[in-house]
Amino acid sequence: MTNNANVAAGQQKLRSKRGHERRINGTIYTVLVIMSIVWLVPFVFLVLQSFRSYKLEKGGMVDYLIPKTFSLDNYAFLFEGSNFFSWLGQALIVAVAVAAVTAVLIHVCGRLLDKGEGEGRGTRVALLGGSLLIGFVALVGLTMALQGFALAGSWVKALISLALFVLAGWIMARVYLKQDSKLLRSIPGYVVEDKHEGLKKFCAMFAEFGALALIAQCILAPMTMSQYVRWYGNTLTIALFTSVIQTVIVLSVSYALSRLRFKGRKLIMNVVLILGLFPGFLTMITLYFLLKQMGLTQAGAVPGLILIYCASSGMGYYISKGFFDTIPKSLDESARIDGATRFQVFLKIIMPLAKPIVIYTILMAFMAPWGDYVFASYVAFGHQDGYNVAVGLYNWVNTNDFQNYFTRFCAGGVLVAVPITALFLALQKYYVEGVTGGAVKG
Amino acid sequence: MVDLDYLKMSKPQKMLHDLGRFFTGLPGRVGRGFMKLGLNIGRCFKGLWLSVVDLITTFRDGDWKTRLSYLVMGSGSMARGQWGRGLLFFLFQTVFNLYMVNFGMAYLAKLNTLGTVATEKVGRKTVYGDNSFLILLYGVLTLFFVLAFIYTWRMNIKQNKISQQILASGRKLKRTKDDLQSLMDSQFHKTLLALPTLGVFVFTILPIFFMILVAFTNFDYNHQPPAKLFTWVGFENFKTLLSSGSASYGDTFKQVLFWTLVWAFFATFLNYFLGMFVAIMINKKGIKLKKVWRTILVMTIAIPQFVSLLYVSKMFAADGLINTYLMKWHWISQPIPFWTNPGWARFTIILINIWIGIPYLMLIATGILMNIPADLYESARIDGANAVQMYGKITLPYMLFVTGPYLLTSFTGNINNFNVIFLLSQGKPMGLAGNAGHTDLLITWLYRMTVSDTNYKIAAVIGIMVFVVLAVINLVVYNLIPSVKNEEDFQ
Amino acid sequence: MKKLLTLVLALALALTLCSAFAEGYSGDLKVWVPDAAVDFTAEQVEAFKAANPEYADMNVVIEPVGEGDAAGKVITDVDAAADVFNFAQDQLARMVAAGALEVVEEGNAEAVKAENDAGSVAAATMGDTLYAYPLTSDNGYFMYYDSSVVTDPSDLDAVLADCEAAGKSFYMEINSGWYQTAFFFGAGCTLTYDSDNDGNLTACNATYASEEGLKALKSMIKLAKSPAFQNGSSISNATNVAAIVDGTWDSEAAKELFGENYAAAKLPMCDGYQLSGFGGFKLLGVKPQEDEAKLAACDALAAWLTSGDVQLARYEALGWGPSNLEAQKSEAVQADVALSALGEQLAFTIPQGQYPGDYWSLATGLGDRIIGKEFDDMDDEALMGVLTEFQETCASYVG
Repeated sequence: MTNNANVAAGQQKLRSKRGHERRINGTIYTVLVIMSIVWLVPFVFLVLQSFRSYKLEKGGMVDYLIPKTFSLDNYAFLFEGSNFFSWLGQALIVAVAVAAVTAVLIHVCGRLLDKGEGEGRGTRVALLGGSLLIGFVALVGLTMALQGFALAGSWVKALISLALFVLAGWIMARVYLKQDSKLLRSIPGYVVEDKHEGLKKFCAMFAEFGALALIAQCILAPMTMSQYVRWYGNTLTIALFTSVIQTVIVLSVSYALSRLRFKGRKLIMNVVLILGLFPGFLTMITLYFLLKQMGLTQAGAVPGLILIYCASSGMGYYISKGFFDTIPKSLDESARIDGATRFQVFLKIIMPLAKPIVIYTILMAFMAPWGDYVFASYVAFGHQDGYNVAVGLYNWVNTNDFQNYFTRFCAGGVLVAVPITALFLALQKYYVEGVTGGAVKG
Repeated sequence: MVDLDYLKMSKPQKMLHDLGRFFTGLPGRVGRGFMKLGLNIGRCFKGLWLSVVDLITTFRDGDWKTRLSYLVMGSGSMARGQWGRGLLFFLFQTVFNLYMVNFGMAYLAKLNTLGTVATEKVGRKTVYGDNSFLILLYGVLTLFFVLAFIYTWRMNIKQNKISQQILASGRKLKRTKDDLQSLMDSQFHKTLLALPTLGVFVFTILPIFFMILVAFTNFDYNHQPPAKLFTWVGFENFKTLLSSGSASYGDTFKQVLFWTLVWAFFATFLNYFLGMFVAIMINKKGIKLKKVWRTILVMTIAIPQFVSLLYVSKMFAADGLINTYLMKWHWISQPIPFWTNPGWARFTIILINIWIGIPYLMLIATGILMNIPADLYESARIDGANAVQMYGKITLPYMLFVTGPYLLTSFTGNINNFNVIFLLSQGKPMGLAGNAGHTDLLITWLYRMTVSDTNYKIAAVIGIMVFVVLAVINLVVYNLIPSVKNEEDFQ
Repeated sequence: MKKLLTLVLALALALTLCSAFAEGYSGDLKVWVPDAAVDFTAEQVEAFKAANPEYADMNVVIEPVGEGDAAGKVITDVDAAADVFNFAQDQLARMVAAGALEVVEEGNAEAVKAENDAGSVAAATMGDTLYAYPLTSDNGYFMYYDSSVVTDPSDLDAVLADCEAAGKSFYMEINSGWYQTAFFFGAGCTLTYDSDNDGNLTACNATYASEEGLKALKSMIKLAKSPAFQNGSSISNATNVAAIVDGTWDSEAAKELFGENYAAAKLPMCDGYQLSGFGGFKLLGVKPQEDEAKLAACDALAAWLTSGDVQLARYEALGWGPSNLEAQKSEAVQADVALSALGEQLAFTIPQGQYPGDYWSLATGLGDRIIGKEFDDMDDEALMGVLTEFQETCASYVG
C-alpha cells in the first residue's frame, strides 16, 4: 500500500514536473514565434512593397500592406535600358555548351578507357580524347576571339579573349589528361559508384566555365547598363576585389603576429590598438584628398574605394590571429626540422588548416562594401557612374529630387538583400566560428 | 586589507572594492606613468646620443667604403658585393633627393604659416594662391619621409659597420640571393608585413596625424582652400568645443557625450543579456527547430543595414506603417512622435538596435554555452539548485569571464556606431547648438560637421575627444579586468 | 618645382591670351542639375552649341546632383565640382564666403537684372554684387488639396476639420525653417539678416519674442494637436493625403494623385491672419575658373540656360516657374493652377534673403519640439521664454 502510494506520488511528481516542463517549453515557443514574426515582418513588408505598382499606386510608404495590384514594374525599371538578361544569357549558353560538350567527350572517352585493355591503350585513347577536346576549345576560342575582334576592332581584346579560351582549354586538358585525377574518375559514365560526386564535379566545372565565359563576355561585349545595374556592378566589383586583397592582407598580418616572433611585434600591436580608438570618419576628408591626388575619386571611385577598404584592413587582424593562436606550434616546428622555410610552412601547412577563418574573412570582406554609404558617396562626389548600390538607393529614398522612388528603392533593396542573405546563410557556419572565436579571444 | 577579508566579500562588494582601489591607486599610477614616461624620454635622448657617438666612431674606424656610404647610401654595400641591398639603399636616397628638391622642400618651408599667397583675380580669371590644405598634407608627408630617410640612413651606416666587422673576422657576407631567400624564411615577417604596414601608414596614420593638426588650425567654411587660406590658431578650437557660452559648444558637447555613453551602455548590455537569454531559450533541451529559429534571427545580420534600417526608419515615421495601422485600429488618435520627440527617438533607436544586435550575441552566446562543461550543471542539480540559481552561479559568471574583453570592444564599437544612428534618425530631432540633434552620437555629430557644415576644425577636435573618452574607458577597464579574471573560479 | 610652376603659369597665361583672341572653348565643362532636369538640360546644351558654333566642340558633361547637395559639394572641393550648377538661394552666403562662386559677368549681369523679377535678382545678390543667374521664381509654397475633401481652402481650421472628417491628412513641414516662417511672418514677425559683399552676415533683425511670435507659436501648437496633421512636404512620400503645403516642383505628382479633384490655392488664413512664408528662387552658379576661355564658356552657357526662352521651355518640360518677366507673361504660365496659386501666395511672402546655416537646424529643433508635444501644456510665459531663447540664438550667429 505504502509502496503503491509512493509510486503514485512519484508518478504524480514526475507528471507535474513534465507538465511544468511543457509549460516552460510552451512559453519559449511562444516567445520564439513572436520574435520570429518581429524579425521577419519588416522584410516581408519590404518585399510586398517592392511589388506595388509604380504607375498605378503612387506614394511613399502607404497605409496598407498588400498592394492592390501586384506588378513587376519596379523591377523592370531597375533594368530599363540594360541588355542584362540577354547578356547574361549569352554567357550562360556558352558556358553550358562548353561544359556539356566536355562532359560528353569525357564520358565517351571514359567508356573507351573502360573497354580498353592495358594501360598503353587507355593512355592512347585518353590522349586522343584530350587532343579532340583541345581542338574543340581552340575552335570555340578562335571564333569568339574573331567575334570579339570584329566587335571591338581591337587586337588587344582579341588577344585577351584568346588567352581566356586557352585557359579554358587548359582546364579541360588538366582535367582530362591527368588519368588518375579524382575528377576524371568521378565524371559521369567513367565511374558510376557515386553519382552525386560526378554531378558535383560537373557543377564545379560548369562554374569554372561560367566564370570564364562571364569574364570573356565583359571584355568582348560589355553590356549596356542601366544606372542600377551599373551601381550593382560597381559594388560587386568592389566586393570581389576587396574580399581577395583584404583576405591576403589580414591573413599575412595575423599570421605574422601570431606565429612569428620578431622585434617590434608588440609595438605594432599596441599602435594598432591605439589607432583603433580614433573614430573612422575623422579622416574622411583627408582620405578623399589623398585619393583625389591619385585620381581615384569621381570616375575612379571604384578602384579608390577598393584601395581605401584594403589599405588599412591589416588592422583587423584580431579574429584571425586568435584562430592561428589555436593551431599547435609543434606543427610548424616539425616542418621546420624537415627543412621547410617559414613561407612554405605558411603556405603548405597552416593555410590548409585555416579554411574556416579564410572563409570567414572573405565573407566579411565581401559583405562590407554593400552597406557602405558614407565613404562611397563622398568618394564618388556626385559622379553617378561611380556610385555603389547603397549610395544610389539612399539617394532615391532620401532626396527630394527623386519623386515616388520609394517602391523602386524597395525593389532595389530586395535584389541586393537576396543574394547577400543567401550567401551569408550558406556560409553561416564559418561566420559563427569567426564571431565566437573572436568574442572569446576578445 | 587582508586577503582573507577580501575573499569573504560578495561579488558586488569585490567589484566596488576593486573600483575604489583603482581610483585610490590612480594618482600613484599616473605618477608612475609620468616617471616611466620621463625615464623613456631620458632613454630616448641617451639612445640618440649613443647613436651620434656611434656614427662618429664608425666614420673614424671605417674604411673608404663605409665613409662613402655617409654620402652615397648603399655605396659601401655595393662595393662589398651586396648589390641588392646597395641598390635598394641607393634607390631610396635618389628618390628621396628628387622628392625633396622638386616637391618636399617647398611644402616643408611653408608648414609654419600654412601659406601666405592669397588667391587673386587677374581680370575675370582666378589665380589660386597657396593651398593651405595641401601644404599641411604634403608638409606632414614630407616630415614623415624625412624621418624615414634618417632612419634608413642610420641603418645603412650600421650595415656598413657590421659588414666591416664580419669581413674583419674572416667570415663571408650575405649575397643578394641569400637576402632574397631570407625574406621567405628568417625575415618572412618583413615580407608579410611590408604592404599592410605601408597601407596603414599612408591611409590611417598619416590622415590621423593630419587631422590632429587640423584641430589646431582655423580650417572651416570661412577658410576653405583653395580660395581661402587657413592657419594655426593654437587651442582656440578646444576652447570652443569645451567651454560653455553662446558662441561655444560646451553644453552641446556635454549632452551629446552623455547620450553617447547612455546609448553605448544600453546597446552593449541590453543586447548582451537579451541575446544570452534568447540563446539559452533556443538551446534548451526539448526545443525543436533550433536551426530555423537561429536562421530567422540571423537575417538581420545578413541583410545590408542600409536596406533594413532605412526601411525600418520609414516604418516608424509619423506617417509610416506602424502609426497608420495603430490609428486605423483606433489604438491611438495621434501619431506617436517616434522620431520627433527626443525621448521617443532615443527609446526607438535603442529598441530597433535590439533587433539588429540580439542575433550577434545569440550566436556568440550559443558557442560559449556549448563549451560550459555539462557536469557543472549536473552537480549543481544534484545539490538542488534551480534554473535561476544555476544561471546566476554557473552560466552568467562563465559568460562574463569569457566575454569580458568582448564587452569592452563592443562598448567601444557602440560609441562609434555610426550606421544605426545615421540610417535611423540622422541625429534628429535637432535642437542643440552647433547643429547637433538629440540622438546624435559624437561620431554622427563629427560626420555632420565634416559633410554638411564643412567645419573641419571642430570635427577634428570632436574626433580627438572621442579618442580621449575611449582611451580613458579602455585604460580603466584594462586595469580592472585582470583582477576580475583572477577571482573567478569555476572548479 | 618652382621653375616648373612658373613655366606652366607662363604657358597658361600665353594660352589664355591666345584663346582670348581666338574665342571659343573646346575642353570639358561639367554641369550639375537635379536628376529630373538632366534630359532637358542636355537638349538645351545641344541647342546652345548649335547657336554658338565657337562652342560646338565643347564637351559638356551633365551629372545629376540635387540642389541641396550641390552647394555642399562645391564648397568641399571646388576643384572637382561642376563648373555650372543649380542651387537654392539659401546657400548663396555660404558659397560666397567659401569663395566658390564667380561674380556674374558685367554684360550678363545687366541683362539678368533687367529681364528677371526683382525678388530673384535680390536673391542672387550679396551686398551689391550679382553672384548667380536666377533660374526659377517658384521656390515658394502654397497648398495643394483634394477638392472632394477640402471644401473651404481659405481657412486652416476648416481645412483641418474637413481632413479629420474624411480621415485624411494635412501635411505641412513645420519642423523646417523654411515652412515654419509661414506662421511667424504671417502673424507679423520678422527675421532677416544683413550681409556684406563677401558673404559675411553683419546684423540680425528678429522680432520672434513678441505678441505676434506667441500667436504664431500657439497656432502651430494647435495645428500639431490636430489628428489630421502630418509633418512633411513631399507629396509623393505622403500617406493618405488630402491637403499639403508644397511647391511647384511637386505639381505633376499632385496632379496624378488627386486626379480630377486636383486643386491648388494660396495658403489659408489661420487664427485671423494670412499665412505668409518665404518666396524662394533657384539659381544657376558658375564656379571660379583658372582659364578665361572656360569662364567665358561657362558664362555664355549659364546665360543661355537662364534666358527667357529656355525658362519657358523648362516650364513646359518640367513645370518649373520662370523668374524671367517675359516668360512669366506667357499664356501657359498664366493658366497654370499651381503657378497661379503660388502667384497669389507670393503677394503675402517676403523674398528669402541670406540665413546662416545654423538657423535651419535651430528652426528644425523648434518644430520638432512642437510636434513632439513639448509645448502642449506650457503657459504664455514659458512659451515666451522659448521664443526669446530662439531669437537670441538667431542673433548669436552674426559675426
